[in-house]
Formats: sequence, C-alpha cells, structure tokens
Amino acid sequence: MTERELNEKIRQAYTHAAPDVLDAVLSHCGEQKGSAVKMTKTNNNRRWAVRLAGLAACLCLLVGGGFGLLSYRANNSVDAIVSLDVNPGVEIRVNKKERVLEVKPLNEDGRVIVGDMDFSGSDLKVAVNALVGSMLKNGYLNELANSILISVNNSDSTRGAQLRDRLTTEVNDLLRTEAFSPAVLSQTVSRSDELRRLAGEYGISEGKAQLIGEILAQKPQHTFADLAPLSINELNLLRSHAPSENHVESVGTASDKAYIGEAKAKEIALNKAGASSAALTDLEIEMDVEDGVMVYEVEFKCGGYEYDCEVNALTGAVVKFDRETDDDQPVKPVDDGASAALIGEAKARTAALTHAGVSNVSKYECRLDTENGVKVYEIEFKCGGYEYDYEINAVTGAVVKAEKNLDD
Amino acid sequence: MPPLRINKITRGETMLEFASKNHTACEAMRVDMDDLLFRIAAGEQAALAQLYEHTHASVFGFALSILKNTHDAEDVLHDCYVAVWQGAAGYRSRGKPLAWILTVTRNLCLQQLRTRSRVADLAPEDWEPYLADKEGVTLEDRSILRSCMEQLRDEERQIVTLHALSGFKHREIAAILQLPLPTVLSKYHRAVKRLKQHLQ
Repeated sequence: MTERELNEKIRQAYTHAAPDVLDAVLSHCGEQKGSAVKMTKTNNNRRWAVRLAGLAACLCLLVGGGFGLLSYRANNSVDAIVSLDVNPGVEIRVNKKERVLEVKPLNEDGRVIVGDMDFSGSDLKVAVNALVGSMLKNGYLNELANSILISVNNSDSTRGAQLRDRLTTEVNDLLRTEAFSPAVLSQTVSRSDELRRLAGEYGISEGKAQLIGEILAQKPQHTFADLAPLSINELNLLRSHAPSENHVESVGTASDKAYIGEAKAKEIALNKAGASSAALTDLEIEMDVEDGVMVYEVEFKCGGYEYDCEVNALTGAVVKFDRETDDDQPVKPVDDGASAALIGEAKARTAALTHAGVSNVSKYECRLDTENGVKVYEIEFKCGGYEYDYEINAVTGAVVKAEKNLDD
Repeated sequence: MPPLRINKITRGETMLEFASKNHTACEAMRVDMDDLLFRIAAGEQAALAQLYEHTHASVFGFALSILKNTHDAEDVLHDCYVAVWQGAAGYRSRGKPLAWILTVTRNLCLQQLRTRSRVADLAPEDWEPYLADKEGVTLEDRSILRSCMEQLRDEERQIVTLHALSGFKHREIAAILQLPLPTVLSKYHRAVKRLKQHLQ
C-alpha cells in the first residue's frame, strides 16, 4: 500500500463515519437569532411571578406586623454585585439602599487595592471612589493602561442598567483629567452557572469572564485560557478591533502607548520582507494575542507574494513571518502535459538533490501535484540527519520550495 | 486566461474530493469558502449549510482524532458550526478559512477535554457499536479507524488526519497544532510507517 493509497483510505473512513448534524446546527443558529424576544418574554413572566410573590410576601408581613424583619432583610441582603476590573479585580456587594455589605478582592492585585480599608455600611459611590483612587495611586491605571471594566449584576435588569450608567459617569468623571483620558467599559452581568464556573476556575470576576466570552464569540480562534490572563486594557485593545453588537458599553479609547505602534510594526514587517512601502498593496494591521503576548499582525501583498508577519507589540521582535505566492494574481494556465511536456520525476529528483547538495538519500518520496495552478513535483527525502522537502516546477524544473529540517 | 470552471459540489462531498476532482477549481475554493464565511456573517443560513457540506468531515475527523470518542466529537461538530455562525463576523480572510475553522474545532476539543477531566475519566470507547450502526461505513473503514485510534499516539493521529482528510501541508499542520515543523514531519512519517505495517 502506497502512502497516497493509505491517505485515501483514511479520508474515506473518516468521511463515511461523519454524522450529519446540519439540521440541529441550523435550528440552533435560528433559535439564537430570534431568542431575544423569547427570553425577554420568559424573563418578564418570571419577573412578574417574582413581583407577585414579593407582593404577597409583603402583604403577609404587613398583616403579621413584620416591619422589623422586612427592614432587617432590606439592609442585609445582597441586592447588587458590582465588580471593578483593571488587572486588579474587586467585587462590591451592596444592599437595596446601595450600602456596602462586603468588598472582596478577586486576586493578589485586588488585595493591594483594598488594603486595610473597611467599607462596611458606606455608600457605594464612596467605595468606588476610594477603590478607583487606590488603583490610580498604586499605578494600575495610567496613561499606558487606561481601561477599567465596571460590571453590575442585579436581578432587576432595569435597575442594574441604571446603576451601570451612573457608575460609568462617576468613574469617567473621576479619572478624566487634562493629561489622562480613561477608557471605561461597562456592562450588566446575567447570573449563570457557566460564568460562575469560569470565574472560579481562572480567579477572575464574572464580569471579566463575560467580557472574554464576548470577545471569544468574535474571535473563536482563541481560547478562554488565552485571554483570561490579559488585563482589561489588553482585552479592550483586542475588542476595539472586533466591534459587534454586545452588552458592553464603551467610553474612551484603550491606550496603546505601551506598545511600539502600528507605524513601527509596519516598518519592521517591511524590513523583514525586504519590501518598500510604495510597492505594497492590501495592507492590514491588527492587534492580536499570540501565546499570551500582544502582537501586531501585519499583512500585505508585494511583488506577487502575500506576507503575514507578527511583531511583538512590546519589543518589536518578529515572532512569525510567512510568505506565500499571492493567489489573487492571475492564475497561470495549468500545465496538464498536453500543452507542455513535464520534465519527469528523474529530472525533478536531480534538481532537488543538486539544490540540496546531497546524493545518497533515504526515505525518498515523489508525487506530482498542483500548486497555485502550476504542476509541481513534491519531493521528500532524508540525508545526513536532515529531512528535506522540495517542490520542483514540473515544466521548467525550477525549485519552487526548499525546506531543510533536523530529523528528530 | 480561460474562464474558471467549477464543478457543482455534491452533498457529502468533502473539500478534498471536490479539489481533486477539479484542479482548476482549487483556486476558486478558497475564494468560495471566504465568501461563504462573509455570507454567514451577514446571517445567511444557506451559506452555513454549504460550508457545513464541504467541511464537516474534516471537522468531525479532526475532533475525533483529538477526543477519541464519537459522541464528544459529534458534540464538537455541532458546537463548531454554531461558533462559526456566531464568530464569522470576526473572521478575516487570510486565505486559510479551513485552518481557521479547524482552529475553532481544536479549541472546542481542548475545552471538552478539560471538562471531561474535571468530571470523570471516560472509559475507552467501544468503537464497534457506533461504526457498525453507521450507514456507509465499510469493514475496511472500521479497520482503518481502529488502527488510527489504537496504533497512533495522539499527535500522530491528529497530524495524519489533517494531512489525509483535509489535505493540509506539513507546515500548515505545524501552525494549526502549534508544533515545530520537523516534529510534524517526523511524527507523520513514523505514523504512516506504523499504519502501513499494521494494515498489511
């Protein structure tokens, strides 16, 4: 059995074994698109049920003369949870009167922010002021990283949205000076087991978990684990380039002053490619994250090639560089053997071995293939502890691709 | 330049079948896949159905090669296209739409593995009932799949699957699996050798 035959059998086996779930997928996608009305209806029903139950409970308490108990519960039960995330994460639990019941740091940096401050019984506004002030004082918010996320979790979505808006204005006014422009992200958070699980697993707030979930919906090529360690400013930079209709309200622009900037990233990528700015087309620069490191993705076309370069956004080091033939260039007519004679495998082998400067090779394999509309001989072999991978133009004999790697 | 002729893709036909059937259509394939993703981003379900037809065998095969469990792979197959539906707006054409879809698949599989290890270790799946019940799966298919699952190590199986089923080149596989190219090459050759020996 040849390698090609084996591959064909594997392909067939997997193809035959694949189930058909298209109908389920389509129905799921359809439901998602139209789910807003449905859910609102369900929630409204539940809310009315809760309100009716509450009313009934109040009547009972009134009848029973339970005013004291009511007052006690209003003062001591959690009505809303507000979380503030920068890199430090802090959670504030408040009662219906927006008096602080508890302030809980969510990570080590959060503990630094809270310090020995005791907020019990204080007004939410006062607590937020003190905590944001502490973030500034401790250098977590500065002109290099100016983003803060405010998340409000309240079972009453209307009151939750109102509180979110008030806090956004409050924090924005507090931070904004002539020298500093903050970027304030704010959202209401819906309670869910999944959010709670993710928040617990990664040691972050449910608000940050929800923000990451929304970015992942836009950029599913990343994982939750990739994004969880990033600061809110880094997430805001990733988010800024992928706008969508989501729950997050945004005021101000995330700072990229800590990074080399798009112009410098472009210059580095062009230098690496040996290309000039005048000759390139279809330039796109986007910020992304690669192995937990912020990078500029620089893509452009030049001289019949497509370039894809990733530049470390902090250091300017090139972390990835790919060059491929530009597929959008006019496709050359396929050399199918009728219009032009192929050089044959023997000549292709000679061309590859000559280029590699070797003669006695092992594990030699050769097959005819088509790359970008041009017939090539794909040749692989081993020699002297190295693996070689060649593509030889099947008509001209030119070396199209040559790779040499250590044979491990 | 002669006009580009693209054969109609029939239901159940994979990208590789489509490509090998019509070489001149290879160039159009990437453009078409990109176009499908843009149409999906615009909310067109028919485009999602088309994309599914061309790619679902690749997605399922890759998921199965990672998870080694047909039920979990089927879940990932479903979730992957839902994620593509939701995330298509964030897709930017880099000429590698299938690589993007398979990266989404891989992430979902890793998530599935994390969940699985948190809940309980699953017993090795008994392949025979699933494959025996599946229409179109031949005895030879069963033998091939069993060999892939039992004879190959995890990374070897993923590499072989990506190459054989989705037609990826070794350097593309290296990028998808985040492995060095030499590692991919050597694992691939070792895996092919072992499979050949076992099947003969």
